[in-house]
Amino acid sequence: MTRQRLDDVDKAIVERLSRDARTANRKIAHDLGVTEGTVRARIKRMQEEKLIRITAVTNIDRFRDAALAYIWIEVERSHQTQAVAEALTEVPELGFVGVMLGRSDILAITMVRSTEHLAEFVHNNISGVEGVRRTQSTLGVNFIKHDYRMARIVS
Amino acid sequence: MNIQSAKTTGNSDLITLDDIDHAIIDLLRADGRLPYRALARELELTEATVRSRVKRLEESGTMRVVAVTDIEAAGYQMLLAIGVQIEDRSPSEVAKDLAKIPEIFSVNVVVGTHDVEILVVAEDLDALNALQAKVLSTVPGIRRLTASLALDVLKNQPDWVPFHD
Repeated sequence: MTRQRLDDVDKAIVERLSRDARTANRKIAHDLGVTEGTVRARIKRMQEEKLIRITAVTNIDRFRDAALAYIWIEVERSHQTQAVAEALTEVPELGFVGVMLGRSDILAITMVRSTEHLAEFVHNNISGVEGVRRTQSTLGVNFIKHDYRMARIVS
Repeated sequence: MNIQSAKTTGNSDLITLDDIDHAIIDLLRADGRLPYRALARELELTEATVRSRVKRLEESGTMRVVAVTDIEAAGYQMLLAIGVQIEDRSPSEVAKDLAKIPEIFSVNVVVGTHDVEILVVAEDLDALNALQAKVLSTVPGIRRLTASLALDVLKNQPDWVPFHD
């Protein structure tokens, strides 16, 4: 599943958009010395091929008393891993769901307000998913960095 | 427990969000390039109102509209979740050092078996080896790394992120 790489013009456009994606095509074109049509077409192609996604992100600092929680999930039988992970992608509160090798079968990441909230979230949304054997959670106390410009674009 | 998150710099005033702000954020989450005209039509507001609302959300450090690049398209084939055990140094200080490394795209001080959890990308096995040997192993205070390799990332769209600049 190797995806097409970005060329230099693509990268220059993405670099601009990763700082402010509402910058006008005209301005980007002017700065890069290409036509506005080129910029428009490149952005359209990169979006269609799921190389980039243009989206709003909100600042976690706005949400007081919010902590990041890593939920490590072990499944009953290895063959259930994919199905459990797919079911978890439907949980809107989860920002990350990955099938893992080592430490656990699946890693899911979410934001919670407290340890009580974490326990309740896991109980209501994860423990009950068919195939989940047990979970172990790690609660974040200080969210130092998350580079939102990097993600796996799946939908 | 004292839960806190990384402080942002700049004018990160806490503004109160109403339903219109939330509706704008939702629409821009779905399509960050949606023109002001389309936003205005969708919300039955004037274009000027929508523009000033977006501006307020951006300038208060509440929301940003950005391009997110696919990890694979950027040339990274591997993603790992690594638990870091620390000795003789404060986890926050080690975390700040780790945050300076571009391949480490997420850094969290945690409570549990490990002291810091990081998410790391690498182009390939050689690049990962170089990262471990030349970068990670030189950060003072790291006692042990426990890694887990992502075989398949089904979802990676966190809406909640710290703003840094």
